[in-house]
Amino acid sequence: MGISPIEYHPWKGERIALNLRFYVIARSILRHKIRSAGVLVLLILGFLLAHTLYLIMFILSPHERLEPTDMSSYLGSGMFTVFAMLLAAVVTSDLISEDLASNSFVLYFARALKVRDYIMGKAVGALLVMSLLCLFPPILVAIVSMVTQTGDDYVYSLGVLCKTALIGALVTVFFVPFGLMVSCFTKRKSYAAVGTFMSFFVLAIVAGIFSQFSNAWTIVSPIDSLAILFRWFLEGKIPTYVDEVALVLIITFLMVVPAAVVYYRLTRQVIGK
Amino acid sequence: MVASQTSSAGVNTIHVSAKEVTVAYGPVVALDGFTADIPRGIVGLLGPNGAGKSTFIKACLGLLSLDRGAISVGGFDSQAQSLLIRDRVGYMPEHDCLIQSVNAVELVSHLGMISGMISLDAMQRCHEVLDFVGIGEERYRPIKSYSTGMKQKIKLAQAIIHDPELLFLDEPTSGMDPQGREELLDLVKKMASSEKTIIVSSHILQDVERVCDYAVIIDSGRLVKSGDMRALLAGEEGVRSISVRGDAPSLQRYVKALEKLCRIIDKKDDVVGQLTLLVRGCEDGRLVFRLAAENGVQMRRFHPERLDLEEVFLRAFRGGGRDGH
Repeated sequence: MGISPIEYHPWKGERIALNLRFYVIARSILRHKIRSAGVLVLLILGFLLAHTLYLIMFILSPHERLEPTDMSSYLGSGMFTVFAMLLAAVVTSDLISEDLASNSFVLYFARALKVRDYIMGKAVGALLVMSLLCLFPPILVAIVSMVTQTGDDYVYSLGVLCKTALIGALVTVFFVPFGLMVSCFTKRKSYAAVGTFMSFFVLAIVAGIFSQFSNAWTIVSPIDSLAILFRWFLEGKIPTYVDEVALVLIITFLMVVPAAVVYYRLTRQVIGK
Repeated sequence: MVASQTSSAGVNTIHVSAKEVTVAYGPVVALDGFTADIPRGIVGLLGPNGAGKSTFIKACLGLLSLDRGAISVGGFDSQAQSLLIRDRVGYMPEHDCLIQSVNAVELVSHLGMISGMISLDAMQRCHEVLDFVGIGEERYRPIKSYSTGMKQKIKLAQAIIHDPELLFLDEPTSGMDPQGREELLDLVKKMASSEKTIIVSSHILQDVERVCDYAVIIDSGRLVKSGDMRALLAGEEGVRSISVRGDAPSLQRYVKALEKLCRIIDKKDDVVGQLTLLVRGCEDGRLVFRLAAENGVQMRRFHPERLDLEEVFLRAFRGGGRDGH
């Protein structure tokens, strides 16, 4: 191909603020993920298996108001958490591993983008996708239940709906840092996806083994610890064998430590010293 | 903020200024008290592999923390104001860094948006810069199917999409065929005409000689030599090159006679019957010509010494003049 005769032209447009640039990454991830067949299949299957059954049940069964016990059994059934785990594994798998494989960090960080904003962009993108299964469907189920309630205590139902939304938000956030952490340690997205899911699965197995000796070990399993947290939050009840502080600590640990690891790893990766 | 130099006209002539910069990776010192003032225009950053060229560029971008010293880029401090620098700078990395699964339009426009361009502007500008670098319809193919030359062009396109004031090109012609090199260097020249400062890091001396106005030679993390390209290539002050042709006895007589007039610092047989001499102290050209006539040799050339960049580079590494003195 010959040299293009087109001359270089300066560009004189306006730039968006530095602290909003993470949003570009987030939007790009959302756009790519909702076009991905794997993500679409998981979203549809997850919606059908984890939400639709309860949606139909709430519509068909007469109820006076939105009961926290109903929401607790719906959200803590395990199906919801398992699909959230699966979706997080698929969504976060390539977010950092692809940049690692192609050495493309430099393309981002040679621009006015902080490591913090890069991670935030990736995380927000993943959270937007996760919310399609973990945040909006539970809110929808709660709203449908409120609409079809026979009683008129809407304030009580609204309180449960708000708690449901908070739980949905927690599940949306819960698995993403761990998925990002695994993704930043491998150049292969398949390893990252399997690694993320298997890590939680192994924790569940460990919890299953050690709970033979003491039920307190149940909280090591993310599925069980989230189910206990839902019940505690919605109904105010917590099993006697569970230490509240340990429960909060383990859930916080599973979110904060991976996020810190991702930050540390990328800072080392980019700066190199 | 590091003070920057201004000309008498008040225009800032120094775009990048490094003062006593030291960067170490553990026990390996990549930059060792590096000091240089880099003016506007096309500047060549020369040095062998491992000299510290890429480290210097990363330090300018604020991607590396300095162990000592300071770098000012366009008046901004590279450590405290790195985001402001990076917003005004384009960087074409040396190594392969393009995301393979996307096409050129997706990648370049996405990076334009990360540089702060709105979606519509980024897309329009993306096509503009891809046209400029000579990427045609293949821009819609995944990058993994591109040749090395095309990838280099995409790297250049992503570096200029936001129209930076300063452009760092790290080994821009690396892995390219001669035609591709020509094309890329022509693009660099075209961009420089729009008042950009372009710092070209390379170990291909011909490339630098062809496009650069100024050169900075670096080795083992230290500045070896820097200066305006014309001045660097001009050779030593007072040294002249003389080419004469004749038979062997005549040439011998001429050299003996010339030795009485000035100091011969180099002598080279070009072809049979032709001699090229480098002399110092032959200020009066008429005497040189008269000697040639008296000794029966034909004067072919007599001019101030001119160097190529390779010779400048070698002399700089020998640490002195022609003979290392």
